[in-house]
Amino acid sequence: MPSSLFEKVWNRHEVLNRGQASLLYIDRHLVHEVTSPQAFDGLRLSGRKVRRPDLTFATLDHNVPTENQLDIREPMSRRQVEVMRANCKEFGVTLYDIGSGRQGIVHVIGPELGLTLPGLTIVCGDSHTSTHGAFGSLAFGIGTSEVEHVLATQTLWQGSKPKALGVEVTGRLAPGLEPKDIILAVIRELGTGGGTGYVIEYFGEAIRALSMEGRMTICNMSIEGGARAGLIAPDDVTFEYLASGNRPFSPKGKAFDHAVADWKTLTTDDPSAFDRLVTIDASKIVPQVTWGTNPAMTVDVTGRIPEPEHVPFASKEDARRALDYMGLTPGTPITEVAVDVVFIGSCTNGRIEDLRTAARVFQGRKVAPTVRALIVPGSEEVREQAIAEGLDRVFIDAGAEWRQAGCSMCLAMNPDKLTPGQRSASTSNRNFEGRQGPGGRTHLVSPAMAAAAAVAGHFTDVRELLPAH
Amino acid sequence: MDAFVTHRGKVAVLDWSDVNTDLIIPARYLTRVERTGYGTLLFADKRYVADGSPSAENPLQHGDLAPDFPINRGEFRDATILLVGKNFGCGSSREHAVWAVAQAGFRVVIAPGLGEGFADIFEGNSFNNGLLPIELPDDSWKRLVDQLRAGGEMTIDLQNKTVTSHAPGSPEQTFAFEVPEENRQRLLKGLDFIAETLLEEPAINAYEKNAPAWAAAIG
Ligand code: SF4
Repeated sequence: MPSSLFEKVWNRHEVLNRGQASLLYIDRHLVHEVTSPQAFDGLRLSGRKVRRPDLTFATLDHNVPTENQLDIREPMSRRQVEVMRANCKEFGVTLYDIGSGRQGIVHVIGPELGLTLPGLTIVCGDSHTSTHGAFGSLAFGIGTSEVEHVLATQTLWQGSKPKALGVEVTGRLAPGLEPKDIILAVIRELGTGGGTGYVIEYFGEAIRALSMEGRMTICNMSIEGGARAGLIAPDDVTFEYLASGNRPFSPKGKAFDHAVADWKTLTTDDPSAFDRLVTIDASKIVPQVTWGTNPAMTVDVTGRIPEPEHVPFASKEDARRALDYMGLTPGTPITEVAVDVVFIGSCTNGRIEDLRTAARVFQGRKVAPTVRALIVPGSEEVREQAIAEGLDRVFIDAGAEWRQAGCSMCLAMNPDKLTPGQRSASTSNRNFEGRQGPGGRTHLVSPAMAAAAAVAGHFTDVRELLPAH
Repeated sequence: MDAFVTHRGKVAVLDWSDVNTDLIIPARYLTRVERTGYGTLLFADKRYVADGSPSAENPLQHGDLAPDFPINRGEFRDATILLVGKNFGCGSSREHAVWAVAQAGFRVVIAPGLGEGFADIFEGNSFNNGLLPIELPDDSWKRLVDQLRAGGEMTIDLQNKTVTSHAPGSPEQTFAFEVPEENRQRLLKGLDFIAETLLEEPAINAYEKNAPAWAAAIG
């Protein structure tokens, strides 16, 4: 029987199979300050140790201020950061602390460090752990009780094996279009619950053509379609990424060659291995903008705010609540919607390629006087790289704020927040009510579309701002 | 963890779809490092009048309840069973969402749609905290909501895997439900799942012996 990539990785990691549940071995456990304190406390209370501190890696990202990382004014945030440091010290876990040169959003630094490899199981107390699936690993988010379980046992119980959903993206993206547009189009097709109970594998010509950064953007938002994980079969693009750069944990020399030979077997044998298959034509995708309060509520940039009775996957009442919250009138062209804040960053779009794309749009232009634009690199390494390429100058000259690394306005746990009623164009992954600050209104877009909105003061079709090819 | 065998309690209805964990507990409360004190933070941006939501430091100090938020209605007071819409608990993996629901006094959450009532991570987190997530077929769920919208009680029997409604002036309805057997056993016995896994240490050791060399994290 043909098996899917996901099944192969799963099967390799079964320590026990009890029919109804499997005990999976976990190869990498990534930890951040928000979802771990109660887990470490649990270990302490029961007198347990971290079984494999050498497979456990921590960073600080959610609470970190991005204006000056070292100046955490909010006392509760400061305490959480201090608790993370103390826990790492007590339990022997490596911490990539602020100023280490390698701190950043947990899903940005894992791949940078070479911790994320094909065929591994990777967990973190964070739903966007699915990002790491871009390398062909099985990576998913877990709750704090499970964090404690992995710390103590390096394993995790999983109920019945999820089903495999194949998402084939055929054709090529047109100029001005980005991986973010692909994943927003996929979620629009699936609905926010469409992937529940599934692991998604993305494949097809458009996926093969993407860099690792682009693949991470896609896998990152699998959870927004309800899927526990998303993955992409590793190929030469993956192997080149792992062999390049400063990735201390990527295998070297002979070990790397052995690994590649093994990784090449990590493919889905045949599309019939999928329990369900969805196909999307990349060449038909145009820039996407979310209008509502979940990531499936999306229109084309050429479209209009929908009538509440014509919103897929939502009841009329749910759609009306979303329209009310967003302060939008059905029938309005999305390009007439003005924005107050533009946020470029997050584990979805805070990588070097995203900053390069945004810089191309900002080059020689100014942020509209009515807009505040924040550019927040996903890691200290991304920040350094951007500076080396002179991108920081482009942002600063355009009148944007060039920040330090962290989650920032993706979830507004640090001082970067929308005020009630403010509207953002954001490259992050969630447009939920209050996500970027109580009463804030979030529209999700690609980095190019976010930069275009910053310049225009409202949503605008970035394809019109780009030089003709 | 307390064992869960049967439970009878009052019902509250919040039949919105896609209720995400940011709504269940906003991110600004996630700076807490404790495992308790989340009950009053449940739906903090919806449950209280404007500016009435508590601070992370002082969860017990909050404004009046917002009269238009469904679960605040008088007939739902002291409810321990929550009837919710599809895809409940989607979004962030924060277990704080389950802590908030459980610490606000709920022991059971019931959603419509087999396999689509709850987001995967929320469902797992619930079992790990002794909060029982039950998925019912759409039509059974709807019949319960119609009957209990004005308040009432339910009995949840985990031993026999049934839910029964008790609404004044209308006949009781009983529906069967399924939950993963491993989780059911753990709840019935109130087991510590780490202690249980540590009994399997020989199997974990054996796995580690056979893992490929490149999978180690050697820096
Ligand atoms: S950037 Fe946003 S989504 Fe990503 S880990 Fe941080 S808070 Fe979560």
